[in-house]
Amino acid sequence: MKVRTRGHLLISVAGVLGILGATTLATGQVAPVSPPSDTDMATSLRLSPSQYKLAITDVFGESIRVDGRFEPEMRDQGMLAIGARTENMTDSSLETYDNIARAVAAQVVDERHRAGFVGCKPRSDAGRDDACAYAFFSRVGALLYRRPLTTGEIEGRASAAGAEADKLHNFYSGLRLSLAEMMVSPQFLFRYKRMEADPTHPGQQRMNAYDKASTLSFFLWNSTPDPELTRAAASGELNTNDGLKRQVDRMVDSARVASGVRAFFADMLVFSDFDAVSKDPNFFPRYTLSIKDQAQEQTLRTIIDHVVGRHGDYRDLFTTPNTFLTKDLASLYAVPFIDATANGQQQRWLPHTYPADDPRGGILSQASFTTLWSPSGRTSPTVRGKALRQNILCQRVPAPPGNVDFKFVEDISNPKYKTTRDRLTAHRSEAMCAGCHKITDPLGLALENFDSAGGFRSTENGVRIDASGETNGTMFDGPLGLAKVVHDDPAATACVAERMFAFETGYLPPKTESGWKQIESKFAASRYDVLELMRQIALSDLSYRSPNTKPAPARNQ
Amino acid sequence: MKPKQHFYSFSAYRRSAVSMASAVVLSLPLLWSAPAQAETRGYVISWFATATNNPDFATNCPQAFKDPGSRFATTGKRRVDHAFVNGKEVAPYDYPDALDKDPNVETVIGKYAYGFDLGGPEATKFQDPETHEKVDNQLWRAVGCTTNFQFTPPTMPYMEGQAWNSGYADSAPAWTMQVSGDDLSKDGPVTITLDRALDHLQRDALSAIRTHVTYVLDPSPRSHNVLQGEIKNGVLLVTSGDVWLQGSLPYYLQIDLKNTHMRIRSETGSKLVGYWGGYTDWHKWAYMFTSRCGAGFDCIGIYRSVKKLADFAPDPKTGENQMISIAWRMEAVPAFLATQDGKLLATASSDALGGRLHDTVAANIPAQ
Repeated sequence: MKVRTRGHLLISVAGVLGILGATTLATGQVAPVSPPSDTDMATSLRLSPSQYKLAITDVFGESIRVDGRFEPEMRDQGMLAIGARTENMTDSSLETYDNIARAVAAQVVDERHRAGFVGCKPRSDAGRDDACAYAFFSRVGALLYRRPLTTGEIEGRASAAGAEADKLHNFYSGLRLSLAEMMVSPQFLFRYKRMEADPTHPGQQRMNAYDKASTLSFFLWNSTPDPELTRAAASGELNTNDGLKRQVDRMVDSARVASGVRAFFADMLVFSDFDAVSKDPNFFPRYTLSIKDQAQEQTLRTIIDHVVGRHGDYRDLFTTPNTFLTKDLASLYAVPFIDATANGQQQRWLPHTYPADDPRGGILSQASFTTLWSPSGRTSPTVRGKALRQNILCQRVPAPPGNVDFKFVEDISNPKYKTTRDRLTAHRSEAMCAGCHKITDPLGLALENFDSAGGFRSTENGVRIDASGETNGTMFDGPLGLAKVVHDDPAATACVAERMFAFETGYLPPKTESGWKQIESKFAASRYDVLELMRQIALSDLSYRSPNTKPAPARNQ
Repeated sequence: MKPKQHFYSFSAYRRSAVSMASAVVLSLPLLWSAPAQAETRGYVISWFATATNNPDFATNCPQAFKDPGSRFATTGKRRVDHAFVNGKEVAPYDYPDALDKDPNVETVIGKYAYGFDLGGPEATKFQDPETHEKVDNQLWRAVGCTTNFQFTPPTMPYMEGQAWNSGYADSAPAWTMQVSGDDLSKDGPVTITLDRALDHLQRDALSAIRTHVTYVLDPSPRSHNVLQGEIKNGVLLVTSGDVWLQGSLPYYLQIDLKNTHMRIRSETGSKLVGYWGGYTDWHKWAYMFTSRCGAGFDCIGIYRSVKKLADFAPDPKTGENQMISIAWRMEAVPAFLATQDGKLLATASSDALGGRLHDTVAANIPAQ
């Protein structure tokens, strides 16, 4: 396949994919390896926008801005990480990436940055210098492609840069165009899980060590491998159980694991859908534009604090009174926020603990859940209940039938049905609706004290809200009662484990296999410590095999 | 014979304002803590301006009603007039008392004005359009026929609206109000505490003042005021006391009231709406209004009118009254109030004072 960029160079995706080489950064020596066959390319996952940005920051530093808007990601089976497996590259998406890449490349070689990033001085700024370009692409290319480049690949980049430099009479312009092309290459935009013969277990396959490093790094840090992980891949250390464990322990213990945790929960909690959230200001004037971002950030900060900072029990995320607030969020929630420090700065995040008798607590009571799963002017217990079932408990809720009649839920003028509960009860009286609503509504109705914009209310149309309910034989009352039910539901911990595996691999876990059962059991033994779950998934063979692989015979590790 | 000695100079006022403020700091006792009571609700002033009453414009100001141009006598016109001090011609702006002709702006002759009975002379009383009680409000009589004040709430008088919306609300420290009492859902005695915050007002998605925001109060006692009042039939009333609140450019340098009266009621969503009245130093008021004489308002005419109608506190030497009766309309929305060291003084309640429980949100619209 030939892909033409807006520049003058042609890149061959298949060619780039086919020419693989191996080198060690330590020695700089290039050792040719056999290109894998197509069938070895088990999985490719397109980098998410956040992964792209973090990767660029890790390669070039924080002074390089990543501007531009990425294409929306595709969600599959509840996770963008699974959708990433089937993301493709259309003409339009390539154009988008090309624009972003050109902007990044221009910064890398501009007068402010070139001395630091290029690493050598060309013989002349006005023309080509293949040796300097070769040195640059050898170093930067390995970081971008997350593996050493072959001599041919480096020469190709240097040569392309030289041709453009000749044409434009500028060494750095040539470097810029060639670098931009590297960043629209599938080698950068996709991460691959390529399999190779396992010399230590004849007849079996293992994941290529560099791809294993990328898998680990994007899973635990949401970014590109650091030099130490790349070294472990190059040395073969990652192919050993001890070597893998050393790296996984190092990465899980690093502060950078917060990036992985953050990316995972943003995906699992469907924060990408916030792009479409709006609230009617006539009803919810306290829901300002800033709330949209701050609502997500509040939940992510709550999670990071609990999961990373405290190694807390995952289940307690649904009941914890601890969170973080800004002035705007505190106003939305109608709670005091005393910031007596110097003013004239950006909104500050301050820790906040709800008192024991407060109806708020846990992430389900936060605006990131209550506002995301509500229409703009009213609540929908059905939508909230469905979101809870699907995204928190990994339970499937059937779609409504095509001929569903919404007359009861939409008619708010009927004096018989003053509250949402009244209207839904009437709606459920129709047999065709009752089945699904029995699954969703009891959970959603327990959150009726939170209006569409996340504010607390005790009445609706002058009638006190009844937030009681029952599920699986357990009675509960109000948001805190629901939080306790979710806390105690084994589906919640099973769900986060399943989604976490999918976040790493792009696939749902093989739940019947003993390897998966071991992960679940170690997660439970750790009192549902999410970092321990990540550690176990990162150490498991299940993470580094082709999804088509049949269960391997047990072997000693 | 040219007038001299007691002519008032705006520039000289600036100096005297500073010294008066210093005096206030020195004389105020440290009344920081509000009395310990069962319940304290916090508010932030979200609307504040001269209390206008324009539905009666035709009867209030028959001359201006017939000839709208007459209420818009411009400052340009005054520039052709002459003012002299000690025989030397001076700018009428700087020495409005020295102007050789009184512009004689039309004053309000109608029956109604918002405000309170401050015990002033019967001959100059208005009647409050809501309470029908007697009202002393000579400021309204002085300015109510001029263009700047031909606005009806929620629109503020022009100058005040400009100042509020172009700067004050979004940059000046907010004014706060605490209401304390044993049970604010019932009638009974209350304590009202006014302060200045260290934060400016926050706006909501409709650009109105956002509710339930937390404000940290200025620890200085300069703008700390404690008044005693009562809730009667659900209306908060104050009938005595002094108020001094530090203001900010571009309009209210300070709110300075003697014999303070307040009448405040709750609206849906627990917003407070009401009136503050009392006597204020007419020099200070005139300085606020006339020192930024933009948009062609007859500042000198208004200055002279306010001076003539001042009705309280005669100067022992000159006999001229130093204060004028006035009423301001105000609104306040629920806010949390705290001290700089993190102590919460008042909570933002969604309940109406003395009224029924209001839901914070009454939203209920058809499915989308």
